[in-house]
Amino acid sequence: MRELRDLARRLLEEGSVQTVLGWEEGPRGARPVFVRRPEEAERLIFDPRCVHNLAAYLSPRRPHLKGLGRIAICVKPCDAKAVAGLIRETQVARDQVVLIGLRCGGVLPDPEGRETLSGETVADRCRGCPDREPRLADHVVGTAAEGFPGPSRRQQKVEELLALSPDDRWRFWQQELARCVRCHACRQVCPLCFCEQCIADKTRPRWVESSAHGRGNLAWHISRAMHLAGRCVDCGECERVCPGGIPLGLLTRRVAKTVGERFGWRPSDDPAVPSPVGTWRPEDPQEFIL
Amino acid sequence: MARIGVFVCHCGENIGRTVDCARVAEALRDLPGVVHSVDYKYMCSDPGQQMVKQAIAEKGLTGVVVAACSPHMHEKTFRRAASGAGLNPFLCEMANIREHCSWIHEDREMATAKAIDIARTLVEKVKRNRPLKTIQIPVTRRALVIGGGIAGIQAALDIADGGREVVLVEKEPSIGGHMSQLSETFPTLDCSQCILTPRMVEVYQHPRIRLYAYSEVESVQGYIGNFRVTIRRKARSVDEDKCNGCGACTQACPNRKVPSEFECGLGKRPAIYVPFPQAVPNLPTIDRSRCLLFLNRAKGRPDTCKKCAEACSKGAIDFDQQDRLVTEEVGAIVVATGYQVYSIGKETGRDDLHGYGEYGYGTLPDVIDGLQFERLASASGPTAGRILRPSDGKEPKRVVFLQCIGSRDPAKGMEYCSKICCMYVAKHTMLYKHKVHDGQATVFYMDIRAAGKGYDEFTRRAIEEEGARYIRGRVSRIWRDGEVLKVQGFDTLSGRPILMDADLVVLATAVRPQPGIEALAQKLNVSYDRHGFINEAHPKLRPVETSTAGVFVAGACQAPRDIPDSVAMASATASKVLGLFASEMLEREPTVAVVNDALCAGCFHCERVCPYGAVEHREVRNRAGQVVRVVAYVNPGVCQGCGTCQATCPSKSVELQGFTDDQVYQQIQALGL
Amino acid sequence: MDGEGARPFEPRITAFVCNWCTYTGADLAGTSRLQMAANVRIIRLPCTGRIDPMFIVKAFERGADGVIVSGCHPADCHYNAGNYHARRRFAIFRELVDFLGIDPGRLTFSWVSASEGAKWRDVVNETVDRVRRLGPFTAYRELVTDPPVTRVIGEEVPA
Repeated sequence: MRELRDLARRLLEEGSVQTVLGWEEGPRGARPVFVRRPEEAERLIFDPRCVHNLAAYLSPRRPHLKGLGRIAICVKPCDAKAVAGLIRETQVARDQVVLIGLRCGGVLPDPEGRETLSGETVADRCRGCPDREPRLADHVVGTAAEGFPGPSRRQQKVEELLALSPDDRWRFWQQELARCVRCHACRQVCPLCFCEQCIADKTRPRWVESSAHGRGNLAWHISRAMHLAGRCVDCGECERVCPGGIPLGLLTRRVAKTVGERFGWRPSDDPAVPSPVGTWRPEDPQEFIL
Repeated sequence: MARIGVFVCHCGENIGRTVDCARVAEALRDLPGVVHSVDYKYMCSDPGQQMVKQAIAEKGLTGVVVAACSPHMHEKTFRRAASGAGLNPFLCEMANIREHCSWIHEDREMATAKAIDIARTLVEKVKRNRPLKTIQIPVTRRALVIGGGIAGIQAALDIADGGREVVLVEKEPSIGGHMSQLSETFPTLDCSQCILTPRMVEVYQHPRIRLYAYSEVESVQGYIGNFRVTIRRKARSVDEDKCNGCGACTQACPNRKVPSEFECGLGKRPAIYVPFPQAVPNLPTIDRSRCLLFLNRAKGRPDTCKKCAEACSKGAIDFDQQDRLVTEEVGAIVVATGYQVYSIGKETGRDDLHGYGEYGYGTLPDVIDGLQFERLASASGPTAGRILRPSDGKEPKRVVFLQCIGSRDPAKGMEYCSKICCMYVAKHTMLYKHKVHDGQATVFYMDIRAAGKGYDEFTRRAIEEEGARYIRGRVSRIWRDGEVLKVQGFDTLSGRPILMDADLVVLATAVRPQPGIEALAQKLNVSYDRHGFINEAHPKLRPVETSTAGVFVAGACQAPRDIPDSVAMASATASKVLGLFASEMLEREPTVAVVNDALCAGCFHCERVCPYGAVEHREVRNRAGQVVRVVAYVNPGVCQGCGTCQATCPSKSVELQGFTDDQVYQQIQALGL
Repeated sequence: MDGEGARPFEPRITAFVCNWCTYTGADLAGTSRLQMAANVRIIRLPCTGRIDPMFIVKAFERGADGVIVSGCHPADCHYNAGNYHARRRFAIFRELVDFLGIDPGRLTFSWVSASEGAKWRDVVNETVDRVRRLGPFTAYRELVTDPPVTRVIGEEVPA
């Protein structure tokens, strides 16, 4: 923590950045903070409650960073993959931001969490996460930590669902998606949802019906999962913020499984690694095509 | 409000037999926006087209649906008719109720219901059609021809004679290609160089041809009518402006033991050389990998030998010459890079080409390929036209020719037929007989493929008049036994094994595209098959066009070709190029993608998927001139209209005109319950 | 079924096909008078690369019991690579909607070239048979229990 605060203070003092984006202690646990003055660097914290993926603020479509000058942003290894995605998709220039990489041993599911981090309490997405050390970073702080072994429960749940009949899967998802109120929090929190106008808001034509009924909900979640294919970094933010508690991570995980198995792609923190959607190989598997 | 006219065609009985056309017209009349709906026996007939024109004029139609045959059949017809009546042609759509309905169904009820559905989708689509204008692109009326063999020469001369400038690029020091290596040509036995060299000189002297010999295409940018080509002019180490082609330098060079490429390794040349006496341009080139001075420089030693420079009275030798890059603007490109012959030895870097070790190629000096035989037979060749075998210089009395080496052999070579071998082997047997009267030529063949004017007569002449012995069968092994070669094979007609002696064996090896063709094809963005041959746009109807507009293909880089085929293709490309250059502007279908600047988030997925590189980055500036955003821009000259960008764009901020989301959406909606 | 009394179930199939290969192949099937099931409605697109997964979603929403997507064989694409992009896109889409409980038997993906009229007939007949066995896709149609919206304000037919 000392290391992080000192670094933030130094960066602000020497004027190489005007804002440091990190986490602070809020009334309900950890929360994002924009540190603008060197003395405020003391507000910064980093512990297992710092679950938010701050990369979402970097998208030029979001207003929060406008006029705040040059930014330094705290990223966990998984967050760094989202930054890599934004660089890959020309939303952020690498030299435009200072990345403070944080060594990470997993986080809790919730910023309010009071539990100590253990194999039981750790966020599901951190189970089996291979990344301890941020690679896409200008500065790396924190102490090395052990991770937690996989597979995650989500992965297991995907396999369980795949073993069911299509009809049973249909029933499962209709029950889950019935709770969707189309608040689009999943979209707002996603670091890689940065369209000027979301397809869900388009009216001519209206591919995704806007009412919160089964048809529109299904279209929306299909559309969202397709758009994140080969882009989702599995930060789990969509599922965390869903007020209906819909297991959205299962959809992105299912797509990630397809993309991994078929095209050999894993989320990467290297912006130069091409996205699997937008590239192809002549020998891509096509057993499903007559 | 939309005012749509529907015209249902009976196509005589073709549609009317299974589809109740009157009922289709009636059903569509009730659709919102349809103000006119009729059926008629032959819509494509003159009276039928008049009906369309009249309705457009009288009812003020804003869209037309012709329910008839496939749009591939008559879309142009009806769009022209609509245009004739003052309606934008892109407001006319065809509903295919013949190929896709009446011809494939028997149940009249179901066919009629389907025809109504099909027409309804098009009515809903055409309501959303927008008037489009054909795209006009300026054309740079100069052409680039890549490859200076007979195909490239012919294409260049035809285009230049047609009044347009040509840039001809040849990677070797001289133009002429493989044809300049041949002794005589089938089926007339006229001298190859005698007919070729005048054309080479014509190229050199033509006021509208700019020749870059010893040069290669480095990169290609742009699109039809507007290509920008960078050409690498490799350093010859000779100043072409000073050199007068006297040849003193080549005489002075002490390293005279370099195997000559032109002689297929059967002769030697100096390190500074002109590939053959009639070379165009007649300029020497220093082979830096063989020149003593450059070999010394590579080892960090001082320059020692400067004999060529000392011999040159013009001071033309320039040891410090560098490669130069030149840029040329052209509107069309002809690819005519020709072929190489399959090497019987194992090819490095190609696991699939195993070679023919059983024929001892590369180890038995008297087993040669067809091109080497051409050089032996050529009066200008290393033996001055005498057939002498390489090992001991003796005249071979028994020559065995093997056809289909590497061709028609999917297991070890190529599955395709190399096309020219049957003919040139017949020619070789004759050339041999004419020079060695008491010699015996024997040919092992799989089939004789002699389809061509005078071709079958030619092979029959070889067999019947010139005494060549043709054995149908394959040779399994060749080995050396003292001074003779043992040839072991099988006669499949008599069913007997054969073991015979030979003094010389000539392999008719497969024709393959030039090495590096894939890299060139990628620069040009044209497709090629797995052997590297350039794909034509359509095997029947567009044989000299490629998948990229403005790039044409001639000669053996497209498939194995003989000289008349190559020349015919070359002239065909010239006519295509001259047709393209007939006007200053080029008209293109407006089915291109257009970006909505306000909505584009600049993620450039579209750029990644575009098969044509049509997507560019465009800066959006504010009033103060500062760049506020960078968005995608689709260059309409390059876009071919596949629409992959639109399906990929997450926010649908790029739209393919003529197939917009709104149009497709309405079609899907129209099929709803 | 669908309140239509005792009439046997006739699957409604929407086909999205590319202009250059499959559409032309279907033309050839017609020219060759190859008889096939009358349940398929073709929507012509320039290339499979243009076919958006949302087309399929919308087709199901509008009552399609099955969908066919068909285009040029690999290496045969009129636009060089549109079909390769489509192949990746639909590999992902198919496994996603299968995961959501849509029987993949309702989706057919095929390569049908301009010379494969007979293959097009087989693709059509096989898809119709398969979807006929799966029955009407009422589950999707019944996702909205609210009274159907008959006309959306502002979605007037444009002039």
